[in-house]
Amino acid sequence: MSVIALVEHLLNALALAGLLFLVSAGLSLVFGILRVVNFAHGVFYMLGAYLGFTAVRLTGWFWPSLLIVPPAVGILGALLEASTLRFIYRRPPIYQLLLTFGLALILEETVRVLYGPTALGVEPPALLQGAVEFGGTVYPRYRLFLVVLGLAVGAVVWLLLTRTRTGLVIRAVAQNSEMAGCLGADVRRVRTLVFGCACALAGLGGVAAAPMTTAYLGMGIGVIVDAFVVVVIGGLGSIPGSMVGSLIVGAAQTWGAFYLPETAMVIMYAVMGAILIFRPWGLFGEEDDA
Amino acid sequence: MMTRSRWLAAAAVMALAIAPWALARHQLSILTDLLIFGLFALSLDLIMGYTGMVSFGHAAYFGLGAYGSALVLIHFEQPIPIALLTGAVLAGVIALPVGWFSTRATGIYFAMLTLAFAQLLYTVAYKWRDLTGGSDGIAGVPKTTLFWGGPSLASAGAFYAVVAVAVVVSLVACRAIVTSPFGRALQAIRENERRFVSLGRDSRPFKLTVFVIAATFAGLAGALFAPFRGFASPEVMFWVASGQGLMMVITGGIGTLVGPVIGAMVFILIQEILSSYTEHWMIFTGLIFVLMVIFLPGGLVGTARRLAARA
Repeated sequence: MSVIALVEHLLNALALAGLLFLVSAGLSLVFGILRVVNFAHGVFYMLGAYLGFTAVRLTGWFWPSLLIVPPAVGILGALLEASTLRFIYRRPPIYQLLLTFGLALILEETVRVLYGPTALGVEPPALLQGAVEFGGTVYPRYRLFLVVLGLAVGAVVWLLLTRTRTGLVIRAVAQNSEMAGCLGADVRRVRTLVFGCACALAGLGGVAAAPMTTAYLGMGIGVIVDAFVVVVIGGLGSIPGSMVGSLIVGAAQTWGAFYLPETAMVIMYAVMGAILIFRPWGLFGEEDDA
Repeated sequence: MMTRSRWLAAAAVMALAIAPWALARHQLSILTDLLIFGLFALSLDLIMGYTGMVSFGHAAYFGLGAYGSALVLIHFEQPIPIALLTGAVLAGVIALPVGWFSTRATGIYFAMLTLAFAQLLYTVAYKWRDLTGGSDGIAGVPKTTLFWGGPSLASAGAFYAVVAVAVVVSLVACRAIVTSPFGRALQAIRENERRFVSLGRDSRPFKLTVFVIAATFAGLAGALFAPFRGFASPEVMFWVASGQGLMMVITGGIGTLVGPVIGAMVFILIQEILSSYTEHWMIFTGLIFVLMVIFLPGGLVGTARRLAARA
């Protein structure tokens, strides 16, 4: 394989990893702090894509939509957490998973009612249309943007968690919510905040994905299954784990689709299986977390 | 309490026995449908309710059973029991490697792994057009005979009888499994796996075995489904179907065996009724489900038992 093709594949893998990271980081964060596997997480990603479509059509601008939609999705997520999930944290984890499954059904069908069954295309902004030339080849600008976005969001999330006071409280709740509560942390508010932020991240992923993949029904489940694989590989509750997991899955899918187009999915699962043989709780996960 | 539930069981079997004469044709066919999904939910309760392993990909084995049975019936026109056996065994055989991988993980990781493998199997069913017919599935699956040269099962009553017998026998078999020493071990794993291991036993062989058993029963349900509805399609393997299985178990009452059967029936009936009013019934299913999870954690049977104990 030539160097140019290698670079091209590498960028494709990175762009895909960027999107996967936006989704899996939130999934992992919610698990780390709330001990909930949010099955509805993919639906918030889909919601982001559809709301992005609406925002771009109403305003004609992509950039403002990228800023407006994630908080909107985040607020919806926070409201849902405060009105349903909040009451069942003491139950076994299966109940929370099933509750979010119910929420996913409601949201997915609501989107179908509002937008209809056809896929909706979103125009990327002028700045990111077309391709850049380098070393005698061309590469779509939009994918480069996804690489940058994934890295930037990763850095921001990591800085917020490790360098701010709110991040400190969040990590305390993740480690021992009862103790953090005794020490004066408002655990309920932290949970709602984290859930909302995670949904906002998924929404951001959705808006960013829409110009590349279009907004369509079923994109939520597609991405959540990939994101599950990412967090299983990386370890639930770990942000670096999500990042590494996204890179591995992005690479497996990109090269898989190139060499074995019919069985690309199988490659991803083979990689996951291989990693799980050695570390059943993921690369960065802790054994007791599941 | 024990005698009361014996009486209830006897009454239920009697009701099933006289159903072909008491019900109209289309009612009987709805009852057949309910029983098939009851069996599916029952098989899920074995791993979920009795071993504490939440599989989010159980529909895959239902689907494997459906495809196995459909292929045998369409290409070889064998009697129904051969098709049932093929479907159930196919599901069990595929569950073996999946279970081997998935039982390495526990809790939420286990749920996600089973989901991932189920989506993989779904994709295979969707893409392998030559064998499975792709998104169209396999249509025109015949209800053949009871044995070679035996009576035809094409009538609604005859096929109902096969399904009713299969479901009752499965329920009795599952009851025997959970009350056996093996079943006690499963419940010990559910209650405290660490303790089980620290007492000197390895939990994985138990978990793998019950996973395969549950998949086999789910395969049997699928193998009944294909000739009953006349088709097998990838939809029956989709994640929504797996999630609905979990809903049926929770609706009826987790860890009660008979609860999930009742849960499946109630769930399918609600869906049937809702879908006759609106095509967007999924919203209301989701809503009912959210409310059930919050307010009725024991499900119908669990709640009924609690009320009976109080009375």
